[in-house]
Amino acid sequence: MIASGRRWRRIFVVVGGILAAYALLAPLTSLDAAQSANVPLLADRLWFRIATYIAMFIVMATAWNIIGGIAGYAAFGNVAFFGIGAYTTGMLVAKAKWPFLVSLPFAPLVSAAFAGLVGLPLLRLRGHYFAVASLGVGVAVGELVQNIDYGGQPLFGGASGLFLPIYSVGNRDLFFFYLMVAAAAIAIGITWWVLRSRFGYGLIAIRENEEAASVLGVNTTAYKVAAFALAAALTGLAGGIFCQWSVFINQDNAFPIEYNVQMILMALLGGTGTVFGPAAGAVLLQLLIQFLGGSLPISFEIPFVSTDARPIVAQVFLGVLLVVVVIFVPRGVIDFFGGRSRLSLSYLRRSLRETSL
Amino acid sequence: MATFVQLVVVGLLTGGVYVAVGVGFGLVWGVLNIVNLAHGALVVIGGYITWQLFTTMHLDPFLTLPVDAVALFVLGYALQRGLINRIIRAPLLFTFLLTFGVNLIVVNLLLLEFGSDFRSVTPAYSGQGLQLGSVVIPYVQLLSLGVAILLSALLAFILNRTRIGLAINAIAADRDAAQLVGIDLRHAYAVTFGLGAACAGVAGGLIPMIQAITPTAGEPYTLQAFVIVILGGLGRVSATVVGGLAFGLVEAFGQSIPGSGSVFANAIAFGLMVVVLVTRPQGLLGRLR
Repeated sequence: MIASGRRWRRIFVVVGGILAAYALLAPLTSLDAAQSANVPLLADRLWFRIATYIAMFIVMATAWNIIGGIAGYAAFGNVAFFGIGAYTTGMLVAKAKWPFLVSLPFAPLVSAAFAGLVGLPLLRLRGHYFAVASLGVGVAVGELVQNIDYGGQPLFGGASGLFLPIYSVGNRDLFFFYLMVAAAAIAIGITWWVLRSRFGYGLIAIRENEEAASVLGVNTTAYKVAAFALAAALTGLAGGIFCQWSVFINQDNAFPIEYNVQMILMALLGGTGTVFGPAAGAVLLQLLIQFLGGSLPISFEIPFVSTDARPIVAQVFLGVLLVVVVIFVPRGVIDFFGGRSRLSLSYLRRSLRETSL
Repeated sequence: MATFVQLVVVGLLTGGVYVAVGVGFGLVWGVLNIVNLAHGALVVIGGYITWQLFTTMHLDPFLTLPVDAVALFVLGYALQRGLINRIIRAPLLFTFLLTFGVNLIVVNLLLLEFGSDFRSVTPAYSGQGLQLGSVVIPYVQLLSLGVAILLSALLAFILNRTRIGLAINAIAADRDAAQLVGIDLRHAYAVTFGLGAACAGVAGGLIPMIQAITPTAGEPYTLQAFVIVILGGLGRVSATVVGGLAFGLVEAFGQSIPGSGSVFANAIAFGLMVVVLVTRPQGLLGRLR
């Protein structure tokens, strides 16, 4: 059992490493220099786009994991920070005409400051109250950003959105891909550090028993707000990169409500409270979503479903997946690779019985 | 003064629907400790049943309400018995995610079946109203308020006077003790969720007469139900009634502020909720537990 667990872990690390190396190096073959040297093209632009999206979701799922997985506070409105990051950088670039790379650091700063501000009252709430209150913040911020007027003019571009000048760089797809991957690496690195620090142990103590943590001298309020702000900063960073990448932002693409649940499902699918779990979940789920939505360059037909209905069917499938994961694999798929358990019928039956009435 | 009276009337009338939306949600939350994110989707199912019966069989919408209630009770019972009972001992995030998954499934199946067109139910008397001085009271909204009060009274009766209602109360007080005295938890849980769903169905039957619905129209109702229950206080039907009416009033006055409008409805609702949670967490009528 232990030995087979270790073998699985080794296979997991090797396969993951090969995939990561391919993802990082394949884009280089699309450079003009590589083209002229007759290096075969290993990834086309569509794959870049999808890979950039995957990296973006790795950032968001990993960031959610800090507050939701490690500290155990079920934040349901993290998309607010994505949007705030996007609008911060977007406003600085479009209205103040700052260069993109100068305005990018303000995205995590403003998101974190906002998280600290709303976190102080919100994190006094527990359980359901915190979850729905944070969901409310997510909805309300998007609404405010779209509708706030100043002197009769929409302050943030209003319903027609915000256009950014196109960022001029040699190979844009490649640039934003590596930028997003760097953000993902930062997010994973920070999680790795958190889990090994006094800060992380404090957060885990809060998750397991907040009163006990407080009695043992953990400053619970400061820890929770710091975790919330850290998650917000990383999510905001992803938003800041996204706004320049997409060139156009509005309420629909900067505050998509469905991201809230997608990032949680990713963290859960991979395994909450772990370093690599959320990233693994993000890769799996994002590929699945793109596949079902028909955006992958693999053509296939789903019987009895017309092309128009495909995205809707994909959503139904996502719902079914959510239900199945929650009931049968509550500790995430990474559980099978860490050597702690093996995927078998009895595992599924056990996770069902543990939580059943 | 006249506008003030008008606003109070409008607020109380819209509050009627909010009461209907809130009571089922409050019951499920208070007794089962489940925040049902699919509540809005269940409301919308009720709306589509009423719309279907009204357009194909020309039934009066108010007569379709019992059909909504029965259909949603069955659906709710099956949902709780088949799915939610399976994770009732898991951390709270899991019930959240499970009900959200159900919400996704329901909303998108409705989209496949009915498309995203706006649907409304317009009986012959829908444009008419009662003229009281300068204030006009639409019949539909007045009847809806009556239905909502009646629904709440019926629910309170079931909870306090019937055998299964007492069992539900016992579970709310102490689940393990309830099991010890021989209450079938699985059945009682499913009945509780079914009753909550039935209330959602009745609320859904009322809504398309007042506001056109689409399959995605349910989400705001879930959030509003949450605010309403917090506003009134968890654990009693009467508190939810007060919460629903208060929410209607807040919304009516909030939208009358110049420069504001329906676009800030969610922001107002959640601002209100955060204020209540921070200053009076037990709600207007709640008792501290």
